[in-house]
Amino acid sequence: MSHYEAPIREPLVLGDKSYHDITEDIAKPIEGAANKNWYIAFYISLAAMLWGFGCIFYTVGTGIGVWGLNKNIGWAWDITNFVWWVGIGHAGTLISAVLLLFRQKWRMAINRSAEAMTIFAVFQAGLFPIIHMGRPWNAYWVLPIPNQFGSLWVNFNSPLLWDVFAISTYLSVSLVFWWTGLLPDFAMIRDRAVKPFQKKIYSLLSFGWSGRAKDWQRFEEVSLVLAGLATPLVLSVHTIVSMDFATSINPGWHSTIFPPYFVAGAIFSGFAMVQTLLGIMRKVTNLEDYITRMHIEYMNIVIILTGGIVAVAYATEFFIAWYTGSPYENYTYLSVGAATGPYAWAFWSLITFNIITPQLLWFKKIRRSFIWTFIISIAINIGMWFERFDIIAIVLSKGHLPSTWWRFEPTFVDVGIFIGTIGFFFVLFLLYARTFPVIAQAEVKTILKSSGEFYKKRSEQGIPTKPAINVASAEGTSDKNNKE
Amino acid sequence: MASNKKYWKSVEELKDSSIVETLSKNEFVQDISTDAFLGDKETLENSSTSRRDFLKYVGFTTAAASLAACEGPVIKSIPYVVKPDDIIAGVADWYATSMADGYDFANVLVKTREGRPIQIMPNKDANGTTSARVQASILSLYDEKLRLKEPTKAGEAISWTDVDKEIVAKLNTLKEANKPVVLLTGSMASPSTSKIVEEFSVVYPNVKHIIYDAVSESGAADAMLAMYGKRTLPNYHLQNAKTIVSFGADFLGDFHGGFEKAYVNGRKPETGNMSYHVQFESNMSLTGANSDKRIVVKPSEQVFALLNLYNAVTGLNISSKATAVDGDIKKLASELKKAGSKGVVLTGLNDKNAQLIAFAINKAIGSEIMDTVNTLNIRQGNDAEVAQFVADMKAGKIAGLISYNTDPVYTLSNSSDFSEGLKKLELSVALSTENNETVNASNYALPTPHFLESWGDTQFDSVTYGLVQPTIQPLFKTRQVQETLLTWSGNTTPYYDYLKAFATATILGGSSWNTALHNGFYSMGVAETNAVSGNLESVVSISEVGNQLSSSAKKATGFELNLYTKTGLGDGKQANNPWLQEFPDPITRASWDNYLTMSMADARDLGFTNPVKDNGAIDGDYAKLSVNGKEVIVPVLIQPGQAKGSVGLALGFGKTFGLKEEMQVGVNAYPLYKGGNNIQYNVTIDKVEGTHQFACTQVQKTIAGRHDILKVASLKDYNTVAPKDHDNGWNKPAYVSYDHKEVEAKTIDLWDEHNRELGHHFNLSIDLTSCTGCGACVVACHAENNVPVVGKNEVRVGRDMHWLRIDRYYSSQVETREDAKELGLGIADTYKALETEAENPEVTFQPMMCQHCNHAPCETVCPVAATTHSRQGQNHMAYNRCVGTRYCANNCPYRVRRFNWFNYANNNEFDFNMNNEYGKMVLNPDVVVRSRGVMEKCSMCIQMTQATILKAKKEGRPVDTDEFETACSSACTTGALVFGDVNNKEDKVTALAEDKRAYNVLDYLQTKPNVIYQVKVKNTNQA
Repeated sequence: MSHYEAPIREPLVLGDKSYHDITEDIAKPIEGAANKNWYIAFYISLAAMLWGFGCIFYTVGTGIGVWGLNKNIGWAWDITNFVWWVGIGHAGTLISAVLLLFRQKWRMAINRSAEAMTIFAVFQAGLFPIIHMGRPWNAYWVLPIPNQFGSLWVNFNSPLLWDVFAISTYLSVSLVFWWTGLLPDFAMIRDRAVKPFQKKIYSLLSFGWSGRAKDWQRFEEVSLVLAGLATPLVLSVHTIVSMDFATSINPGWHSTIFPPYFVAGAIFSGFAMVQTLLGIMRKVTNLEDYITRMHIEYMNIVIILTGGIVAVAYATEFFIAWYTGSPYENYTYLSVGAATGPYAWAFWSLITFNIITPQLLWFKKIRRSFIWTFIISIAINIGMWFERFDIIAIVLSKGHLPSTWWRFEPTFVDVGIFIGTIGFFFVLFLLYARTFPVIAQAEVKTILKSSGEFYKKRSEQGIPTKPAINVASAEGTSDKNNKE
Repeated sequence: MASNKKYWKSVEELKDSSIVETLSKNEFVQDISTDAFLGDKETLENSSTSRRDFLKYVGFTTAAASLAACEGPVIKSIPYVVKPDDIIAGVADWYATSMADGYDFANVLVKTREGRPIQIMPNKDANGTTSARVQASILSLYDEKLRLKEPTKAGEAISWTDVDKEIVAKLNTLKEANKPVVLLTGSMASPSTSKIVEEFSVVYPNVKHIIYDAVSESGAADAMLAMYGKRTLPNYHLQNAKTIVSFGADFLGDFHGGFEKAYVNGRKPETGNMSYHVQFESNMSLTGANSDKRIVVKPSEQVFALLNLYNAVTGLNISSKATAVDGDIKKLASELKKAGSKGVVLTGLNDKNAQLIAFAINKAIGSEIMDTVNTLNIRQGNDAEVAQFVADMKAGKIAGLISYNTDPVYTLSNSSDFSEGLKKLELSVALSTENNETVNASNYALPTPHFLESWGDTQFDSVTYGLVQPTIQPLFKTRQVQETLLTWSGNTTPYYDYLKAFATATILGGSSWNTALHNGFYSMGVAETNAVSGNLESVVSISEVGNQLSSSAKKATGFELNLYTKTGLGDGKQANNPWLQEFPDPITRASWDNYLTMSMADARDLGFTNPVKDNGAIDGDYAKLSVNGKEVIVPVLIQPGQAKGSVGLALGFGKTFGLKEEMQVGVNAYPLYKGGNNIQYNVTIDKVEGTHQFACTQVQKTIAGRHDILKVASLKDYNTVAPKDHDNGWNKPAYVSYDHKEVEAKTIDLWDEHNRELGHHFNLSIDLTSCTGCGACVVACHAENNVPVVGKNEVRVGRDMHWLRIDRYYSSQVETREDAKELGLGIADTYKALETEAENPEVTFQPMMCQHCNHAPCETVCPVAATTHSRQGQNHMAYNRCVGTRYCANNCPYRVRRFNWFNYANNNEFDFNMNNEYGKMVLNPDVVVRSRGVMEKCSMCIQMTQATILKAKKEGRPVDTDEFETACSSACTTGALVFGDVNNKEDKVTALAEDKRAYNVLDYLQTKPNVIYQVKVKNTNQA
């Protein structure tokens, strides 16, 4: 199982860990009682979620008029939030699928949570296309299902319809992929569970995982196949989301650069969100040994790369808007008109948070600092929200006909729904952190000997690791077989 | 004969088996155990219903009960028991009638459906025109809130019989005592009514008839009387004019009832006949906005400019003062002299002397444009008589007042005097359609019907005799004023008979009454027009007139207030009409308000601003306006093109009595309207605390360098330069690069075009030269398409629902980026310069509605295909398929799609006409009322085009040339909107679609709209 890794590579698992220690560490949050901080966080999130649901009910009951939209600006926070949440999801798939294909071992500590984040983010994202409809009770009309309305069928020309397919495919593949990875870990919890109810639940969740070699073989094969399936989704989902804009005719939206630029932006924002979440989680659940400085640094490197792509895209957009010489391009979201107009604050927020702030990550010290990383990740989250807000609100606020120029101001309902989705997201994530194995322990165990600090040190000191392997693997096996 | 046949059902029965007998007596073959169960008390008590059973029963009954309760509301549709001959359900009837409400006068056609009038259109045969107010008056018919419903005395209901008895007795008492009684009415322009009033005065010689118009044009009428011996208003045949010089006369607005049709007929570039129009004014009026040259002068300067023009034209030298515009005046004097009989001077100053000077200039140049023979009988109000009457009444010299169709308590500047006098009266009777303060203060309140429920006649000019006929049974217990006066005169003839006899005897000259009634008018033949021939000097010396005029203007100090009427509300009679309140002013595009218009320079000096809030809405500061010791607090709206040192304020707002709370908007300017003079000098303005919230439908004022949206050419360029000329072309199409060559955008296409030659293909042509921005089409569209009213707050945040809007653009100091570059402006300054309107801008109007693009961006993006294209060129909107993603609206480059943010019908939050039973009667049954959450937009009146097609089909004929119409094109007074079928080569629109002036807005997008605009041509090269 293990392979050789150069000793100068930093270890991926810190401390003097045995296989059993890993099991204990991962199972602890699930088996133990939640601490006070968890409850505080949970209730705040729950309150936000309920407030958001209240706002949603108010919207559905009264009309979209309770939002700040108007005749010229038909989308604002709704679609901003949608794109933002979809974008956040991308990191999870990239980490678990693309990095799997590239055999990046460092993904193992973070892929579970990143994927959970993906799924929970897609839940939030999926809310918006439904509730932003004037008549959400007819939302099922966007599905190509046989119906009794005569020959009515969906419009396959519409990018919104592509969204429906893209998002639903993405959610289902991500969910299956995530669940497949969870099977051995659920089985581990099942095997350790002492309460019958818990045992029952985890038995169901683990789909009868038995730990036989055949199970492992199939597990590896399915993971690979699903990774292969999920990888194009990393590219396709945000490509299609970007087409909502790119295929339209609004200056600032009608841009062929959008698909790659949106994908890069999505990964950029997704990694930032992973950093934010893991920065908290590793502390709260005492997983500092598994989510290490190196993980953080690696992710920061991805952020620099994708952030760079995004910055180049911004520059291109700005240049092209100017270069066309068209008076209609004067006020796109990246233009002098936007930089000096009523939305200058949003424009400069975007530039500051998305272009300037990530440049700090060129410094190794900052890149490896947990606190700096956390701050920068928050900045990027904000910046990426503004990117979408700018694209939507600034562009729509300066349409083709100057007589239709208008502005947008959110109402408490707009804000409430956004906060509500954040609350909903954290409610799901916090519940997940208490009930799911947050690190793919089965996978981490496979690299313990090649990348664990303890074993690396031993091999550096010239102590042969072979007997240790025997001991450790025996321990590991017993871990799986002995029901504690 | 009885039959002996026996019918049997079975062999057993045939054989008369006993079992059949037994069974037939026992309905239930098996024993039903109810008796055993319920009858035996013991078993019943011992039996136990288990909890499960109980829950089952409860569950079932609850479910059954709630299912039974889920029945939808039942709306009964009741068929006619006896169907009226002339009503076919689903087929509209049109009646010709006339409107004369004291301020608006029009020959109109009324569309009725199932006995309900639902729309008003101009009676084009009678040369009738409609304005926004005339169009909207249909809704005032159904104003259940404001209309008087039954006669009352001191607030108590009283029968008409008692009313007649009491009032006739009182009138006789007053007659015997020879105490004066005044009959105060608005202008009626009705020959039969004049005769009735005359007869009434014969019966009661103590009755004096005084005409009072809230908004006075007394000056012109008095001047006519002085110079030409009759108290009417001159007519202006602007269609023949070569040079028009106007001093503040808003003749495309309310001046003498408006001359927009004649004006536009004189400005057709393709005929080569285009008048040159110069407007001197202080407020930015519709007329000034349409002029070729607008010269900004404050009111007192207008007086001197007028006198200087007189001096320059005649070579005389009457007392005046030099003005800043004397250079223009000199040039104009020679222009006018050159134009001679084709020149005309008008002035909007409601001052007899000013009007006399204008008449004198017209006489001096021999103008044939001003017609003093075929004059106008509207706006007959006599300020002097009214002033005398109010003074007499206050002094207690008047004993009785019968008022009809006026509200002096609201509209008089000295209304407190009037109210005081009213209390001293022995008899005060108010006849009125609507409740108002005067009605409330009078002893008797007698409801009169709306004009759509009345008989009557009109004569607005000397040529056309109009008839008024009812289009609906009276909604309330009303009686016409004519009927009432006849009754009180002791004449028992019903008014209808009286009218018919009168018309037949004196007007119709032997031609059929029925034909006249059917046509709505009778043409009396044109009296010969001749040049101005009146004699002024015989009455009063011109220098005396000039002296009086200039000496009063010389007294002007401080700010000068120019009171005006808005296109929407006019004199304020229809202030409770939500369509008119929501109608955006053509110039300021503000709805639901009046405001002080102030020049940009004065606003800078005094610190007034109009900041745009984050939600897109405009705010304003308040000013305290002091005029003649009266003070009002008004919000200030900065108006480009307002003369420095002058301010404008609209009359007709600030009415509160009886109005719905939502309609109680604006400030009453009538208290400032001293002596009926629209110019008030010596005004002081102070900024006061507070922020006013405006409801404007457009925020950005300039076109920001995007000149291909609205193309304007000078007459000279139009005549001499090729439209597509590479450098100077005035109608250059969009070009794109294709195979590295510059080609016209429309020559390349991504798709194979459908064959559009089949069937009908609709186009709408909009001539920007002819469009004056009057907005009649906006209200017509409102009425035709059941467009909801959303109220001030929703308009403010950009949610007006107008399917058809008229964009208004001001020119900026710097019009293009090239200009800015030449001026050496930096990039930020260039943006600012392009976005900021000029201090005295040129104004352009652009009606904008769904462009019905053949390559519609909205159609491709709808996920549920709710908006699709038809073979007829119309872009359809299937409301009941729409899920409301609003993607279509975002992708519409013209932003003409309107979303139902809320339920606008049957919703107390939107308590307008769609929320009450009367108001709903105006709804067009052919157009569905949209629910919340769906998108809506202009349909190119598909219900009208389909009706036309079906009618032709039923009659077995092809659709006639120019038979297709939309509400906006029918309502358009000036013919700017032309609708038709481009597959019919004879249709007017087919030629217009190919005209050299034709262009599509945003043609570079290649949306291929079916709405065509015609380049605006302005005669700017002269003088």
